[in-house]
Amino acid sequence: MRRETQNVLLVLLGGALLKIGINGDYLRYVKPSQQVWVIAGGAVMAALGAIAIVRDLVARGRTGDGHHHHLARSAWLLVVPVLAVFLVAPPALGSDSVTRTEARAPAQSQAVFPPLPAGDVIPLSLTDFVTRAGWDSGGSLNGRTVRLTGFVTHTGDSVLLARMVITCCAADAYPLKVRMLGPAGYPDDTWLDVTGQVVPGTATKANRFTPEFTVLSANRIPQPADPYED
Amino acid sequence: MVKSGSGASKHPGPGGLSVGLAVASVRLGVGNVGLAVLSVGLAGAGPDCRWLLASSTAVNVLTDRPRAKRRRITSVEVLCVVLLVAILGQSWLQDVLNVPALRTGSTIFVAVCVQALPFLVLGVLISGAIAAFVPARVLRRALPRNTAAAVGVAGLAGVALPGCECASVPVARRLMGQGVAPAAALTFLLAAPAVNPVVLVATAVAFPGRPEMVLARFLGSLATAVVMGLLWARWGKLGWIVERALQRLPDEGRGRWATFAEIARTDLVEAGGFLVLGALISAALNVLVPPSWFAVLGGQLVLGVVVMAVLAVVLALCSEADAFVAASLTALPLLPKLVFLVVGPAIDVKLFALQAGTFGRSFALRFAPVTFVVAVACALVVGTLLIGGAR
Repeated sequence: MRRETQNVLLVLLGGALLKIGINGDYLRYVKPSQQVWVIAGGAVMAALGAIAIVRDLVARGRTGDGHHHHLARSAWLLVVPVLAVFLVAPPALGSDSVTRTEARAPAQSQAVFPPLPAGDVIPLSLTDFVTRAGWDSGGSLNGRTVRLTGFVTHTGDSVLLARMVITCCAADAYPLKVRMLGPAGYPDDTWLDVTGQVVPGTATKANRFTPEFTVLSANRIPQPADPYED
Repeated sequence: MVKSGSGASKHPGPGGLSVGLAVASVRLGVGNVGLAVLSVGLAGAGPDCRWLLASSTAVNVLTDRPRAKRRRITSVEVLCVVLLVAILGQSWLQDVLNVPALRTGSTIFVAVCVQALPFLVLGVLISGAIAAFVPARVLRRALPRNTAAAVGVAGLAGVALPGCECASVPVARRLMGQGVAPAAALTFLLAAPAVNPVVLVATAVAFPGRPEMVLARFLGSLATAVVMGLLWARWGKLGWIVERALQRLPDEGRGRWATFAEIARTDLVEAGGFLVLGALISAALNVLVPPSWFAVLGGQLVLGVVVMAVLAVVLALCSEADAFVAASLTALPLLPKLVFLVVGPAIDVKLFALQAGTFGRSFALRFAPVTFVVAVACALVVGTLLIGGAR
């Protein structure tokens, strides 16, 4: 591959990183804390390509024709992420990943959890909800109405509310699931805000800590800017 | 490997013309980057397509200008055709990828690229800085003359490069190019991604109340790196490494900053392609490896160790995240988890692709399997001593 082409590809790939870093699409792929890395990496990459283009043009002005026969066929592969980001823009992981990945029990951090804050409806992350449902011997969830956010997915007859958890990037994502008692008719990957109560004692090791949840109300919502929990 | 623009005669006429064009095109290019950035939020592919085409054709027009006489199809034209076809076939492309498995795979592919490319950029910047600003004699003086001692120092020096495994490949290669003994450079390559503070803190967070896990990981990874360095010093052959990886930089009269930018650019192009290859393989395996692999491992220690070692290679997780994945597999004893944490940063499909691209296939085919065996062995020994086997 010629040097000019390599430089164009660097500018394009750097531009792709910059684009998703700035418009927020990077949240489909990595954690929010990596925004700085994505933007800085993209900027440096584009700059390296642009500097080389400018220098080559200036040098060519002085030297006439260059002799560029550098073999770097692997560099063609750089086209793939450029096309993937600009033309395909893969969506955030959804219900397909839930069926594909084993649910994992959240790490047991403590036996008794602090009580939930006072109020009628407590917003909770799925991580917090599932951890408390599975491990809290103090039963801090029992009888409390909580609000959860996630997307719909189905296994067998049950309707699940799920959310993917990532630690670094989408390659290490795993799902947290809650079995919803009540709503039906939502297609896979519909994002919902649901309120309801846990059915005590339903998150066991046998069902991979998937608590049951009596749904009082469910609202369709657009996909959150950050579709993952961490 | 490094090209320079010096040493040819002057042609003032066409020169002026191309500089003029250069300025015009740079303006055009920047304008288009601006356009793409501004188009943020205006969802849809329209502006992106225009940008892709505009910037490539701008360069195309320019670079072909001086060779207008002999029409040859070059990679620039090929790139334009590829982009054009992809843009015209965009909706078809999106339809094809709209199968759940392919959609998941493409998300994971982009995720691995987005996660790893900034670290690779960091690595090539360090590599460029070593080449441009650290004279070879300084490096030689900094490391002990004795190879075994140099290997030890290089292993501990890995603490200083916080980042993913992708960053360390170009750095290790540059160290070799600057005259550092390959054994020491390879030790650094294996140690840096696993023993740096970021990774150790992540491990401590993932295994609360189990500090022995952090210590075991540190010692297991350091032992892997040092053992591999010593093995290389004893049996390694320089001939396995492709010549261009060892090439010393030509000492020419270019400015240091010019050298820095050029080295970083060349390393990025060469390693970037292989990183993308690794990301493709890792995404495919992520989708293809059945989740039941994790489920059957319950009480079976030997099977657990083997499967976790293989998974560490095929999943190619970044070393800052693998501790959380390992910790969440509650059914497993600690020993297989430690194997997973020690093997992963030392060798995985992404690293193998990077090593094959940087040091050559004949190196990677020998180095990677030995690394795998040594890493598993070191993890088992350290794990048995520190966390007591099957608990």
